[in-house]
Amino acid sequence: MITTFLDIVISGLLMGGIYALIAVGLSLQYGVARVLNISHGEFIMIGAFGTYILYKTAGVNPILTLAICGPVLFLIGFFLYKTLFKILLAFSDSAEIFEGKSLLASFGLLFIIQNIAILIWGADIKSYSFLNIGVDLGGALFPANRMVTLLFAVVISMTFYLFLAFTRMGKAIRAAAQNPRIAGLMGVNINQVLALCFGFGALMASFAGGLLSMCYPITTTMGMEYTVIAIIVVVLGGLDSIVGSFIGGFLLGIVGSIVTYIEPGLALVAYYAIFIILLLVRPTGILGK
Amino acid sequence: MLHVNHINAFYGKIQALWDISLNVHEAEVVALVGANGAGKTTLVNTISGLLRPTSGLIEFLGKRVDDLKSHSIVELGMSHIPEGRMLFPNMSVRENLEMGAYTKRVWKNKHKTLEQVYDLFPVLRARQRQLARTLSGGEQQMVAMGRGLMSNPKLCIIDEPSCGLAPIIVQEMFGIIGSLRSQGIAIFLIEQNVQQTLEIANRAYVLENGRLILEGNSQDLIQEEMIKKAYLGL
Repeated sequence: MITTFLDIVISGLLMGGIYALIAVGLSLQYGVARVLNISHGEFIMIGAFGTYILYKTAGVNPILTLAICGPVLFLIGFFLYKTLFKILLAFSDSAEIFEGKSLLASFGLLFIIQNIAILIWGADIKSYSFLNIGVDLGGALFPANRMVTLLFAVVISMTFYLFLAFTRMGKAIRAAAQNPRIAGLMGVNINQVLALCFGFGALMASFAGGLLSMCYPITTTMGMEYTVIAIIVVVLGGLDSIVGSFIGGFLLGIVGSIVTYIEPGLALVAYYAIFIILLLVRPTGILGK
Repeated sequence: MLHVNHINAFYGKIQALWDISLNVHEAEVVALVGANGAGKTTLVNTISGLLRPTSGLIEFLGKRVDDLKSHSIVELGMSHIPEGRMLFPNMSVRENLEMGAYTKRVWKNKHKTLEQVYDLFPVLRARQRQLARTLSGGEQQMVAMGRGLMSNPKLCIIDEPSCGLAPIIVQEMFGIIGSLRSQGIAIFLIEQNVQQTLEIANRAYVLENGRLILEGNSQDLIQEEMIKKAYLGL
């Protein structure tokens, strides 16, 4: 019984760590930069395939790849905002209109990225074996790669939290999320900060993708599922709360793990059920105001 | 130090400012008075770069600023303390004040400036870890003023600092504005409290329906029949 319990909790934390990363990324893009990025999952997929390709062709250690793919995707996200979304922003009369336009544009990005990926990598399920050895935790055996994944998810999230809490740039990001006009009056270059947030969102997606590929099979069409989960977690945590996204990620991971134990096919159903109940009962999310 | 030359500005599709020209000189307190909806806030938003004029010229310290964004203008030494405090509600008092020192010019000295602001508003020192949204209206205004001073400005634009505050706090605000003047900071002050504003200001402009209809020394304006009727209730 205790072993089963431990099994569920630890699997939940493992999945939750990934969800948290994904959701923090989307929270930066939507909560701060006002882009409900439907193509978020595609950046996860690119991170996963980048890791897979480098491991299979050059034998690069997947953990090392985090440090390669991350910055590359950060730059892609940064310049995507500086070009595409900045132009959309210039042609939008209000924040609401920009939200609508950027949502549609990110839908377009989803199809473009996904189809290019299918052209290059095909649509088959791919996987590799990395650190696939058991670690004994209180009687339950856990693969070492999942422990590494959890560890990195927590370390990356914590580092990012400290960055937001204590650095000049992190404070600017939080101020911009709360009132972009006034942040501008303080001397914050808003366009620059929003582009950074979009870049950080892509960076988080890349990290999550890389970590996912160490434990689970990947496909070029995997992105959408994670985008949906990210949206659920961001709403769960509260749209304007990055800490909320972090907590929400772990919460959803645990719920998913419990449901999967009872009936594996029902995890996504449970996520949607939580989403609907949440929208009815507390639409501002756990930490939302 | 601030020259506004024949500016026109639109709020959406409606013209809000018509051919406005005004000046603020070094170490001077200049007031802008006018009824609600006269365009006072639109005017200061245009000066601080939140809104772009459709025509005309704005110069600050000899530099053209009407085509700059607000974050570049604050770097030059102009600080805009907006109407309605506009704090960052989920940041602490201290973090709000630190944001005021965001510009590269002053960020390094922020601890020193922070101490000066705490000396000016001792209650903020006691509340420095509290979230801004949990403060009272008067305390929030103090944070807004302190945040505006953290950038070590040469010109401070203060929009309705007494709005919605208890009379005793209003007096405190005017006291602070007086002490800023004695430090040599130029002040462009917008206020509903016309009597007291004219007493503290060197000069004043009167804005009506987006046009400047009157300007002059405060002492002269207090005597003006039109001002007495419209704003002083005499």
